[in-house]
Amino acid sequence: MSDADEKNEPSTRSVTVTEGEPGPSDWSEFRAQMREWREGVERVLPPWWSRALAATLIVIGIVLPFLFSADSGFLNATIIAVAYAVMSLGLNIVVGFAGLLDLGYVAFYALGAYTLGWFGSGFFYKAHLHVLVSPVASTLPGIHLNFLLILVAAAAICALAGMLIGLPTLRLRGDYIAIVTLAFGEIIGVVAVNGTSVHLGGGMTLTAGNLGISAVDSPYFPGIGLFNELDLRPWYWLIFGILLLVLFVNLRLRDSRLGRAWVALREDEVAAVSMGIPLVRTKLMAYSIGAAFGGMSGAFFGTYFTVVNASQFQFGFSIFILGMVIIGGLGSIWGAVAGGLLLGYINYYLIPDVLNSLPSKIGLNFQLTEIEFGIYGFLLVIMMILRPQGLIPERRRRLELTGRVSATDSELGEPSAISTLELAE
Amino acid sequence: MVRKYVGRWGLIVALAALPIYYGVRDLVHGYQAGFVAGHPVVHHDLTQLGFNFATGLSNGAIWALIAIGYTLVYGIIELINFAHGDVFMIGSFTAVGLYSVFGLTSSTGAPGLVLGLLAVLLITMIVCGVLNTLIERVAYRPLRNAPKLAPLITAVGFSFILQNVGLLWRGGSPQSVPDLINQGKTVFHIFGVPIVRGYLLALGVMIPLVLVLGRFISTTRMGRAMRATAQDPEAARLMGINVNQTIALTFLLGGALAGAAGLVYALFETNIWYFQGFRAGLFAFTAAVMGGIGNVRGAVLGGLIIGVIQALADSRMGPQWTEAVVFAYLIMIMVLRPRGLLGEETREAG
Amino acid sequence: MSATTVSPPEAAAMEVDHVVKAFGGLVAVNDVSLDIPRHAIISLIGPNGAGKTTLFNMLTGLYKPTSGRILFGEREITRTRPDIITKLGVARTFQNIRLFGAMTALENVIVGRHARMRTGVFGAILRPPWVRREEREVQERARELLKFVGLRENSFDRLASQLPYGDQRRVEIARALASEPSLLLLDEPTAGMNPYESEALAQFMRRMRDELNLTILLIEHDMKVVMGVSERVTVLDHGHKIAEGPPAEVRADPAVIEAYLGKQG
Repeated sequence: MSDADEKNEPSTRSVTVTEGEPGPSDWSEFRAQMREWREGVERVLPPWWSRALAATLIVIGIVLPFLFSADSGFLNATIIAVAYAVMSLGLNIVVGFAGLLDLGYVAFYALGAYTLGWFGSGFFYKAHLHVLVSPVASTLPGIHLNFLLILVAAAAICALAGMLIGLPTLRLRGDYIAIVTLAFGEIIGVVAVNGTSVHLGGGMTLTAGNLGISAVDSPYFPGIGLFNELDLRPWYWLIFGILLLVLFVNLRLRDSRLGRAWVALREDEVAAVSMGIPLVRTKLMAYSIGAAFGGMSGAFFGTYFTVVNASQFQFGFSIFILGMVIIGGLGSIWGAVAGGLLLGYINYYLIPDVLNSLPSKIGLNFQLTEIEFGIYGFLLVIMMILRPQGLIPERRRRLELTGRVSATDSELGEPSAISTLELAE
Repeated sequence: MVRKYVGRWGLIVALAALPIYYGVRDLVHGYQAGFVAGHPVVHHDLTQLGFNFATGLSNGAIWALIAIGYTLVYGIIELINFAHGDVFMIGSFTAVGLYSVFGLTSSTGAPGLVLGLLAVLLITMIVCGVLNTLIERVAYRPLRNAPKLAPLITAVGFSFILQNVGLLWRGGSPQSVPDLINQGKTVFHIFGVPIVRGYLLALGVMIPLVLVLGRFISTTRMGRAMRATAQDPEAARLMGINVNQTIALTFLLGGALAGAAGLVYALFETNIWYFQGFRAGLFAFTAAVMGGIGNVRGAVLGGLIIGVIQALADSRMGPQWTEAVVFAYLIMIMVLRPRGLLGEETREAG
Repeated sequence: MSATTVSPPEAAAMEVDHVVKAFGGLVAVNDVSLDIPRHAIISLIGPNGAGKTTLFNMLTGLYKPTSGRILFGEREITRTRPDIITKLGVARTFQNIRLFGAMTALENVIVGRHARMRTGVFGAILRPPWVRREEREVQERARELLKFVGLRENSFDRLASQLPYGDQRRVEIARALASEPSLLLLDEPTAGMNPYESEALAQFMRRMRDELNLTILLIEHDMKVVMGVSERVTVLDHGHKIAEGPPAEVRADPAVIEAYLGKQG
């Protein structure tokens, strides 16, 4: 055993980890200059500046709907973008905080949406259960629960599912975790499509496949009334409220014993367990909580789109959310929000509404939406090569995307050894 | 300790369970094998199972070719080339595009057809090999020292880009393509199982290619360089091996095989689709992992096994469940024996 | 989900009983037995590749012995998980410093205290007064430990990866101490230090043993430190224990000399 494979020099590495062909020297000088400016500006601001900024943003957020008409297309896009931000925050816990590469996050979107489909519509028409729903809905067959109850149910179901999905991945190294979670995501997708042949008795099936569970309830709160498609504002405030809640939980977790444990596991699994951090429990917590948020957002999407349809749950969605987290800044809470909002807007507003005819204006024979995929792929590639730390890098992570070592028991025969021989790259 | 044995045998049992179950069911329960004078004919033999195997091994040959690409790349740089499945798709598209260039139609005579297809094969392999190498150069090499997440993301990004190319090229729905070799025509029977041209094509392309690759890796200098780099890139570099070139070569070979698989697929399935790469990629990757990632023989074995599982699932449970079945096996592999059937511990702790 | 605080048992001795560790065909540790008396400072020496770190890894639960037993106090820990072993009172540093690079020095030490904290998920989210108090206490304790190991205060909030080598070693020791161990395992703590620094560390070890009621087991290559600080020295070579005893005796042992010189030959 040699001691000489030490690559973990304590020297300061520059902000980007990407070695290989360096860009032209004026580019790196430019970036050094930008960094200096930003640090200079930060020094001038008073210490409470970030809180003030956050408060201002929240106020703007609350007031926003008043600036638009009740059925504005922009408001529609914003609602979707905010829901994506919630998803992004959820995935950020799994991939960003705990460093577990989950490529099957669509599973929780699906489970959340189906929770709504099962418990907020006439789908299970043999059952009759109504809790705090609109007067109209309480006369309909099926299970109809108040939307808040559905949110809780979605969170709980996804929390459990998250643990089950995470369980097989606990001893695997990074890329394998990706594949296993991807496989789970696909399986859930297949079950969603074929749920029409899974019979639950009484003529009811598990899902409605590609036709979808339609006529799901819209949220109803006594005193506020039933949400409808004419007035988007209540929808907005609902999802904005969910965002604030999820944001709050995230911030609290990040600066807690659990949040630190996640980062420790991400940075160096071997050292982390040696410091007394329980591997299994901590990782499962990450999967679980991340999944719960995805489920909540999924339930919201279900009710907002008024249909829960198996074709909504494809692998591309998982990558979409992953892209938000990465572009925003892996591990960074505000980055996740920014990434979610940004990509939500680009996907639902910028490309289809604003820029769609751009190619035809310059003489090319297709609409922009046709190359959405390709644009997205291109963005991912560019981000990784030029700015892997994302738009708003994680506060803790100066060495962005730092390498990790996985503590796998060598007796299980996995490729990486625990010992001091295999270190962070 | 115990886990090791449970692992390997558990996996083998799980794999064998499927064909054994259906075989026994066929024998005991019988299966419907067509109609005679308006009455269903029920057979109690293993012919249908044999048919499943024949289809499965042929499909599996395609997966094997793609799986080799995954396994070679992973063996040498420990990276899952997510875009590999889509290189295969581009291979299919390219091959079909070349049909008209060479004037190949279903009525082309045998000698012309064979020559034409060989030419198409060669060109497709080159195109896909180069494409794969290009992706390595642009997306992976700059991130060689970044942790695994980064190149994985760029790989996914490239996968999307390639899929979009396919989408623009031939649209969003599966496209029927000319059945040049009349792939469904029965050539002979083995134990009552009809062997069609498609099967012979698939195995006839895969076996020579795999053998040639095997010889290349074991006897040539570049092949040795590949093995050395896969074992220990630092030591290889110190021995004077040009690691960059070796990696590029690996991608070239993997891509070429995927291209060959693309042509075979187009001839066999007579159907291409921009999304076929994603599905194929996952199946082939499952195959590579099943056999033992980094191990070429394992990739071939895995490919054949996955092909059979797919054939069984397709015909017995219905194609809508096939993906779920294959992925369930993938998860099983990860739980029971992550290093696969033929895999060993890589990068020994020494 | 809160962790129950387990008070470490009375500074217990550790007993290693005929432990073997084989990796496939390679036997890294071959039938090694030793015991570590309380409050002792014991050194484990031997040429490179002798199996010392492998033994450490088994003592801390990272590896499971192929055969043999390990006892910590009265309790058998042969197949116990590493995080539970830490909770029982065993802490370690690593040969190639393994700090959490993305965290500050202070945060690293706070993480070290994970096993002694009780805040769980709900505590983290709701932050009732007792959680806030625990956070404050942990922060204070971490600062004390960093001071104890001699880190300058203005370095407390620097990223661990940006600290000079010597400071990183200190932080690693502070992090290990944060879990209130009764047994401390140090893997080549003086690697990369000059003689002056090594001597200071040796004295510090004595201080830790006395003030913090510790037992210390260290892997060392620096013979001056070994001779100066250990009460007993155990020598491994090729996975076997070839000598054991007071430093002076071991130094004169011909088998030991051959093991070292033979390697250099």
